[in-house]
Amino acid sequence: MEQSIIRMEGVTKQRRHKTIGPIDLALPKGYVYGLIGENGSGKSTLIHMLLQTVFPDSGRISWFGHAYSKGIPTEVRRQIGYVAEKSNLEEDNLTAEEAAAFRAYWYPEWDQPYFEKLCDLFQVPKATRLRKMSKGERRKYEIAAALAPHPKLLLLDEPSSGLDPFAWKMMIEVLRECLQTEDTTIVLSTHIIDEVKRLADYVMLIHHGKWMGMAEKDSLLDNWKEVWAGCPEADLEELPNIVQTQQESHGVTRVVTTSCRELEQILNDSGINVLKTRALELDEILTLWVQGYKPAGVQEGEEQTHGTIKTS
Amino acid sequence: MWIPIQVNENSAEPLYHQIESQLRSLIISGQIEEGTLLPSIREFANGLNCSVITVRRVYQDLESEGLLRTKQGTGTFVAKVGTSQREVFRREAVEEALNHAVDVGMSVKCEEDELRELFLSILKRKYHPEKGEGEA
Repeated sequence: MEQSIIRMEGVTKQRRHKTIGPIDLALPKGYVYGLIGENGSGKSTLIHMLLQTVFPDSGRISWFGHAYSKGIPTEVRRQIGYVAEKSNLEEDNLTAEEAAAFRAYWYPEWDQPYFEKLCDLFQVPKATRLRKMSKGERRKYEIAAALAPHPKLLLLDEPSSGLDPFAWKMMIEVLRECLQTEDTTIVLSTHIIDEVKRLADYVMLIHHGKWMGMAEKDSLLDNWKEVWAGCPEADLEELPNIVQTQQESHGVTRVVTTSCRELEQILNDSGINVLKTRALELDEILTLWVQGYKPAGVQEGEEQTHGTIKTS
Repeated sequence: MWIPIQVNENSAEPLYHQIESQLRSLIISGQIEEGTLLPSIREFANGLNCSVITVRRVYQDLESEGLLRTKQGTGTFVAKVGTSQREVFRREAVEEALNHAVDVGMSVKCEEDELRELFLSILKRKYHPEKGEGEA
């Protein structure tokens, strides 16, 4: 098992209208974690706790294997890149070039040629004050500046908000390239399902502050399927891991399952034909997950042995 | 190295299984030659829109089958495929296709003799096209 870059154990935070957590998670390095939840569900709070701009009310967080209860030391902070949901006001009156020079002072690993390359690619106007930039330009500057020091851990809080579809695609490419050449771990909070589909290895779900858990993206897509079986509905009622069944016509039943292989095996063994299968879209899966249908192999915390991620 | 793998999301077969069996066929059939450097795990995953966990699993499985080998720091290469391995694969691929054909025949209630005749006439047409045309 690889070392966890981030670990949270029983982390809670009281917010005005709700409690966030308890969150239990372990994030091995080198993966992309898509963090999904409605507005106000606690995604940004989670990211702020990882930056120590918000402190948990209870529980324990560790970075690269250390708890840093007296504050994350500068040399560790330098390994963490962050794109905030709302841009930082302190840089408002600086141009992209000036802001980069300021950041470079704090990040010894700052890679100016890489920063410039990204700004050119994104067409960020380097001599414009950041507050004068369009929302998309500002966003692109933020992403370039977060990547420039080659962070080991990259926290992206809705990085694509304000990006046009072309810039969005470029961002995906840039992040993919960064993942191919470096051993970056990315936590990506987003509302864009396609972003998760293209980038994430794991999906983390939080709903009204409640931590729903974390699952392998491909395992979700492999297991959650809609299956048309050549049998009456009654034959399928007792089966495990079934979300819903519906009789389509005489002798054909549509089933939504959270464990496709297992269902297929059972149907085969009972001599029932599988007429068709369809993969659920990620958004359909998340909707059902929020309703309480658990994915196979989900990492939730309580039942989990710390340090291992169960796979199906 | 671009690897022609086509994933079908709607299949009941898990992603890693689809990728694994296609990559295995490409290697054993010789379409990807011995010594070829495969894409890095992340690169391959990006190309297929799947996770690195899936690709790592495929590489590990094929490595333990002896079809791939990994050199620390350089990457994953296609290993030498033995002649007997290739023979077994050839035979299995044909057997599987024939099996499927017979299943189709049985599902539309073909008699054994009818299938045999059909098979022989297809063989004749494919291997001796000139004669077949002459007869028709």
